[in-house]
Amino acid sequence: MMDEIRILLVDDEELVRRSLEKTLLRAGFDVETAESASAGLALFKEALSGDDPFDIAILDLNMPGFDGGDDPNAGLELLSELLIVDAGLPVIILTAFDEVARAKEAVARGARAYFVKGREAGLVELVNDIIAA
Amino acid sequence: MPSDIYLAKRRAVLLQAAAKVGHSVTSILDPDQLLERVVDIICDEFGFYYAGVFLIENPLTSGKPAWAVLRAGRGEAGAAMVAEGYKLEVNGRSMIGAATGMGSAIIALDVGEEPVHFKNPHLPDTRSEMALPLMVGDADGGVRIIGALTVQSVEEAAFSDDDITALQAMADQVAIALNNARLYAQNQQLLARAERRTQLLAAAAEVGRETASILDLDKLLPSMVDIICDAYGFYYAGVFLVEYLDDEPSGSSSGLASGKPAWAVLRAGRGEAGAAMVAEGHKLEIGGHSMIGAAAGMRGALIALDVGEEPEHFKNPHLPDTRSEMALPLVVGSDLIGAVTVQSTEEAAFDDDDITSLQAMADHLAVAIRNAQLLKELEAAHAELLRTKTYEAIATATLEAIHWIGNKALPISAGAERLLQDLDRLPPTEPRRMASMREDLEMIADSAALIVSVQEHLIGPAREEQPRPGLAEDVVKDAAVRLAIPAEMISYAVAPDLPLVRADTTQLGRAFGYVLQNAVEAVEGIAEKRIAVEIAPADDFVVIRIADTGPGIPEGDLDKIWAAFYSTKGAHHAGLGLSAALQVLRQIEGQITAANGPEGGAVFEVLVPVYDSPLPEAALPAKKKVLLIDDDDAWSHFAEAALKGAGNKVTRSADGRVDLKPFDLILMDGVLEHADSRAVLEQLAAEGAGGKTLVVASGLRVEDAMALIRLGAKDVVLKPYTATALAEIVGEEE
Repeated sequence: MMDEIRILLVDDEELVRRSLEKTLLRAGFDVETAESASAGLALFKEALSGDDPFDIAILDLNMPGFDGGDDPNAGLELLSELLIVDAGLPVIILTAFDEVARAKEAVARGARAYFVKGREAGLVELVNDIIAA
Repeated sequence: MPSDIYLAKRRAVLLQAAAKVGHSVTSILDPDQLLERVVDIICDEFGFYYAGVFLIENPLTSGKPAWAVLRAGRGEAGAAMVAEGYKLEVNGRSMIGAATGMGSAIIALDVGEEPVHFKNPHLPDTRSEMALPLMVGDADGGVRIIGALTVQSVEEAAFSDDDITALQAMADQVAIALNNARLYAQNQQLLARAERRTQLLAAAAEVGRETASILDLDKLLPSMVDIICDAYGFYYAGVFLVEYLDDEPSGSSSGLASGKPAWAVLRAGRGEAGAAMVAEGHKLEIGGHSMIGAAAGMRGALIALDVGEEPEHFKNPHLPDTRSEMALPLVVGSDLIGAVTVQSTEEAAFDDDDITSLQAMADHLAVAIRNAQLLKELEAAHAELLRTKTYEAIATATLEAIHWIGNKALPISAGAERLLQDLDRLPPTEPRRMASMREDLEMIADSAALIVSVQEHLIGPAREEQPRPGLAEDVVKDAAVRLAIPAEMISYAVAPDLPLVRADTTQLGRAFGYVLQNAVEAVEGIAEKRIAVEIAPADDFVVIRIADTGPGIPEGDLDKIWAAFYSTKGAHHAGLGLSAALQVLRQIEGQITAANGPEGGAVFEVLVPVYDSPLPEAALPAKKKVLLIDDDDAWSHFAEAALKGAGNKVTRSADGRVDLKPFDLILMDGVLEHADSRAVLEQLAAEGAGGKTLVVASGLRVEDAMALIRLGAKDVVLKPYTATALAEIVGEEE
């Protein structure tokens, strides 16, 4: 039996974050959450330096960035920072918009997938796919 | 033999009479009155039996025989002869003929014996006659014979050569008086003409002044006909405006339009006659036989003096009293905008001189009408701009609100889903209560899902678009395949050699998807489920007509269907599809309209603008082996021809089940009618060919693109519809 998969979920919308967390927890994942890019990076580094690093990160695109203000690209910036400390980390970018160009940009920057928020069960399937690959 | 004294006395009496005649006639300036009076004055003063005035009608220079025509004669005899048109040839054998020919007086003492005298039954008592030439000096200092005077006496040998001087003096005075009167009449005529022209020009200025201040076209035209009739005293005036053959589909109500002028349509007419004709839709063909049609066709004024006899004139039962008509074109610059008719109850009310002043009036009208038309256009454009701005502001605010609501609704769906799962895991201790809870949770989940979906319907079409050349046929067929419309339900009639359209094909595919979805829902529950798609060129557009066999759209709903959140299909429809389609078409400067077909079903007509910009030269790679995985459709034909034309070897396959090793590049359509593109790609990737596979799609969606990329496609890109665009994607393989 594989170890429990650890997921870092970063989203600034409290209810969305909690809802996603519950869905992922119920699917059997170990989830920790942060509400901004800087808090997410701190949490990730802390886990990495300890014995319990994250296996996957799920990042909202539009949230407070490293300077504290709302930033439509905060998720992409956090993605780059995470990949610097853990090059092989699978990352899923969350967004409210169906925008192929941004999705491809996220993939070009190293994201494994881009998920348009909607049916949460779809996100669970996506995480399972990525882990299985 | 009369004595010298008798002669002197007679001469004095004659000269006195001559002077009296001269005095009397010189004060009469009216030529008709003068002619009437002169014979009486001569007879009264000289005691003659008869006097008559002949005037030469045809001047000798005309080459025809000239006639001295009797213009006035004493008494009943004179009146009868004038009425008969009594005339004598100049230089002829009559005394008058001789006097007018020679310019000297002739005496016949016993007329019965004079060979030159014509025995006149009207004047049986004449026994002596004298014919005196009427002569006036002309501008060259010479003498011009204008006619002759005959004086007759009942006495034999009443005149002697001695009398000639005195009577010729009298004749000269008469000649001068006649000439003066004639000149006076001519002057009067010239003066009257000048006055009339002044009046007409003043009326033109008045019409111009009064009409220039009316800028409302609907008020201007009716006022115009009244102003014209009042200013000129005309019986009737009517204003026609040009109607063009190829009016814009939107219909420019102000009349400013392009195309071939076809009809002059009566837009305003004086009085009840005018109102009746306007109500009848009275219109005349431009270039046709009517005066208005002819004047507009030639762009020149036309006059009909007795309209009953003019073939150009259309006998109009509404205007029975018209006896003269003038039709004037309304022209501004090089544009014909209409024509105006003015009509009079008088015969010959207009002459060529009037054209200038009435055309000046028509030119004022034309400018006033054009100004009003331009203002109307401007107002319409302003209103449209205001609508657009308002719509944009509302749309922006709505989008933000919907986005916010959509995001907030996400946890509702997810929460309801989780509760449903929990409910499934509970022991069925209270089955009825649990069934009720399940129903409530499903209601919550459905409602939340609807709110979330609204977000994409509304935000999707509002997204910035990237217009590019596209194949309408390919985009509409992809939309149908995505909706999984069964092939036997949908039919296509595509005109050959269609031009490319200019559109963001992702957005256009979305719009077609909404219209097709609407059609699919319309035929639900109908025995004969059919959707017919027709694609044809239409001027600067490609028109895509999508007709279904459904119940059609209720007439009252034809406008409402475009409104956001309007739906007739129940709670599970947000009513955003057609609104979104309209928004997409507006963004690409196309049009979408809905109507009901002759057999009842709904017919949606989508007009997409043609791509008419020049395309840059394509730099396609050559000598590559390319596998094209696609249906046998318009796009694959294009891609195959373009790649082959550049010198590549192209192999086609509907499902990719071929040996993949030889190929340098695999191009795969993301929407396949006869295979599942994800399954095909999985197969390609399994054989190690994913890295050389480009998936092309008429419209891109994150979910599909991410799935295909994760399945191993090299890239998922917008489908190229030109060699240039094709080179851009396959050129990367160099």
